[in-house]
Amino acid sequence: MSAVTMERRRARAGSRNLLFWTGVGFIALLVVFAIVGPNMRHAYDAQDFTPQLGPNAVNWFGTDHLGRDLFARIAYGARVSLIIGFLVQVIAVTFGMFIGIISVFAPKWISIPVQRLTDGMFAFPDLLLAIMLVGIFVGKGGGLVPMVIALAVGAWPATARLVKTQVATLKDREYVVAANAMGAKTLYIVMKHILPHLWGVILAVMMVDVAATILAESTLSFLGIGVRPPMPSWGGMIMLGDSYKESNINMLIWPCLFLSMTIFALNFVGDGLRAMTDPKGNQSR
Amino acid sequence: MRLIFGVVSLLFISLVTFLADEIAPGDLATVRAGEKATLAQVERLREELGLNRPWPVRYVEYITKAVKLDFGTSAIGTQKPIKETLSKAIPMTAKIAFLSVLIAAFFGILLGTTAAVYENRFADRAVLSLSTLGVTIPNYVLLPIMVWIFALNLNYLPTSWAPDGQRVASDIFYLILPVIALSLRPMATLTRLTRASMVDTLRQEYVSLAVAKGVPPFRLLTKHAFRNAILPVLTVIGTSFGYLLTGSFVIERAYQIPGVGFEAIFAITQGDTPMILASTLVTGAMFILVNLLVDLVLPIIDPRIRESQV
Repeated sequence: MSAVTMERRRARAGSRNLLFWTGVGFIALLVVFAIVGPNMRHAYDAQDFTPQLGPNAVNWFGTDHLGRDLFARIAYGARVSLIIGFLVQVIAVTFGMFIGIISVFAPKWISIPVQRLTDGMFAFPDLLLAIMLVGIFVGKGGGLVPMVIALAVGAWPATARLVKTQVATLKDREYVVAANAMGAKTLYIVMKHILPHLWGVILAVMMVDVAATILAESTLSFLGIGVRPPMPSWGGMIMLGDSYKESNINMLIWPCLFLSMTIFALNFVGDGLRAMTDPKGNQSR
Repeated sequence: MRLIFGVVSLLFISLVTFLADEIAPGDLATVRAGEKATLAQVERLREELGLNRPWPVRYVEYITKAVKLDFGTSAIGTQKPIKETLSKAIPMTAKIAFLSVLIAAFFGILLGTTAAVYENRFADRAVLSLSTLGVTIPNYVLLPIMVWIFALNLNYLPTSWAPDGQRVASDIFYLILPVIALSLRPMATLTRLTRASMVDTLRQEYVSLAVAKGVPPFRLLTKHAFRNAILPVLTVIGTSFGYLLTGSFVIERAYQIPGVGFEAIFAITQGDTPMILASTLVTGAMFILVNLLVDLVLPIIDPRIRESQV
């Protein structure tokens, strides 16, 4: 390898590091914002101000059509997005890992149907399924629980497939074969020799998937069937902003900006983690 | 084989939504009887509608009817047959989704090829950065902002859909914003994919040979590289159609276009379960149909696939 390509590769790794730390920094700030923001200066649900104000010294992001402080509402939206994003992924990853491991280690009559099911679910557009599942519950009360479940139902097949391919390669490693030969139980092998190698990859993919879940959640909220008023969410705020864009563009711009930045940040973090955990994965994507 | 697989997954999806409806509190009888109905009235209605039979029986009945395109009637309002609503909505959604696929594929392949030819140079970098933006920014952010810029401020395009009688501009103007908003993300995906595939293809030995033979660059691209590079792209066009269907829910809702998505969301907010189930089946069927179509087209382009199927 010539010095020039080495140089270039290092430069690219450097810029990836910068993006990674920018992403980490943004998410860290967002978490703080989500914890203290909703009640820091004004309560997120108080209708105390003149409606439709632009950004000013009192209401940093302006106010909405009911005179609520947009800064506090954006902060509450961050809380909702982060909690739902991570909660759904934790459920999906746990279930997906379980299924992924089963489809490698279980006897054929279990593993083959499970794999087919995973592939079928994976091929079907998950958001479409989530919309329909949530939709059925919306008319009958709704709430956050059906949405979290619907999003997790759409999200687990991706993890299951990833885990399956990873586990399938790990299974043939010499130390696993050796452990097997020494009479170790399958459960012991999975816990001691397989799982520890998976965390890095799963964490990297999870960051990107959290972004996807946040997008899905705000799609549902935008359609009016996810998080519903009076609870503020970015998707719901974009929907409101859309209908008031003629008189007050602030209501549209802020949630759009925060949503997009969060998605970018999570993707940067995911890409960075993948580069760190997978030494071969240094292709520019 | 693929057809059977498609039908099975469609059945599975319909079963999941059907069961979700079973688990959810309340049923068609409670919706139709209204809030003031007594328990006895609801029970009688349940008997009339056949709702007190076990769910597997009703599921099988539902599917056998749905195969004949009979989805029953809407649970609310005038109880219009669902078939009627859907037959008006499907062409609308199909038109927008189809136009978006076309635009996404054309520009995606064009931009991706350009980026691959100028690999690691300015044009490539620019296309890659733009496509990253395109992949991440959701359409419900794009469309309102585009409407704000082009319809409200610049006054070039209509702010939302209008029925046939009430149009002030020709039809095409009503399609521009929703189709662009819908096509940008698949366009970005296809751009990246075409670029990656084309970069790979251009490194193949037969391409170097063609260059050595003195094949002119344009002919090299169109005749030699394109056919090989395009295969993975075609498969993804099929899968990205799923995104387009979901996207059309958002776009139709935001731009007030009376398509399947618009009707489905309306049904959801009204608690019209038969309509929700029917639109699940229809959108699912559309998705599977398009993917089958892609599977049929692939062997025409690639003789290797044709041979492996015989």
